[in-house]
Amino acid sequence: MKNLKFGPAALERPVVQRALALAFVLLLLVSIAAVRPAFAAGPDAITPVEDFSKELDKLKKSFGDLGRKIDESTKAIEGYSDVEKARKEIEDLRGAVAALLDAVADNGGLATLGDKALGRAREKLKELEQDTRFKPEERAFLVEQWRKLRDDTERATQELGGARTRFAELLRTLQANEDFIDELVQIRQAQKVIEVIHQLTRDIRGASDQLQRLIGAIKPPGA
Amino acid sequence: MAAIATRLAAAAVALTALIALGACTPKEAGYVEIRTVPVANPATAFYLDSVKLEPLKNGTAVLRQGIGTTKLATDGTGGKLALCDIVVRKHRITTVTISVLERPPRCMCRNSAPDGSGGRSCVG
Repeated sequence: MKNLKFGPAALERPVVQRALALAFVLLLLVSIAAVRPAFAAGPDAITPVEDFSKELDKLKKSFGDLGRKIDESTKAIEGYSDVEKARKEIEDLRGAVAALLDAVADNGGLATLGDKALGRAREKLKELEQDTRFKPEERAFLVEQWRKLRDDTERATQELGGARTRFAELLRTLQANEDFIDELVQIRQAQKVIEVIHQLTRDIRGASDQLQRLIGAIKPPGA
Repeated sequence: MAAIATRLAAAAVALTALIALGACTPKEAGYVEIRTVPVANPATAFYLDSVKLEPLKNGTAVLRQGIGTTKLATDGTGGKLALCDIVVRKHRITTVTISVLERPPRCMCRNSAPDGSGGRSCVG
């Protein structure tokens, strides 16, 4: 009851409350600012996630470039009557897809980085749940940040899985097309062989006719 | 002097490690796609030659592999059990599906070709 004040003291109460609220906000800001450098100070903690994110961005850019290349190549192949050129175009395209598949393969750089980042985020969350160094609000903040990172990384690795499936399928399609083109080349070569045989047959027949005529022209004396 | 020697030794070790790493990564490579039906238990171990694969995610994996013929194997009762030969060609993907319900598991090649020993290998 001693704390209750009336009259002019009552007017001071909101001011005190405001000052207290302001102090709390300031404290919170200071604690967040203190937490942020701690976050940044541990490169081993955040780096795997950042590296993964950077590499993923690079891949997305390459994916865009590849899409353009596929469109251009499809038009080029459709216009080609020369199967050798078409085969070369598909071969180049296969090389480009293979380069991307390199990155997203399960034993490739990006997937390994993603697994590492995901493992780190999960490990960090587990650690923070048992960490007693921080105030509850600080811990809640950190847990929230890592949870967000973990969820984002999980989504990104799922996207990566999708990209892996698409690239693998694309490579298979290109292979099948190239094999088909190879078969066309073989058919064309077989047709050329047949043409050569036909020509040879015609030549032999011509020579044979000539020989027949020559034989026919030979007349023994007195015949 | 000792410090310089230590640094030089460290640099030499690092250089050797880099060269070794470069040598380990095959430049000419193709891909092997492994699928299991039904989706294999992540505890099921698979090997490409002598390398044990990481547990398959959702029963599938797409792996970069040096070109040539590689042997796919799994754990059997008396050690490693060879499943099939996989031919890996440059910038090409060889797909193999493993039926894990059968005992022993069986390879089903998407495309296959006769090998030198009278059997068949999966090809890309």
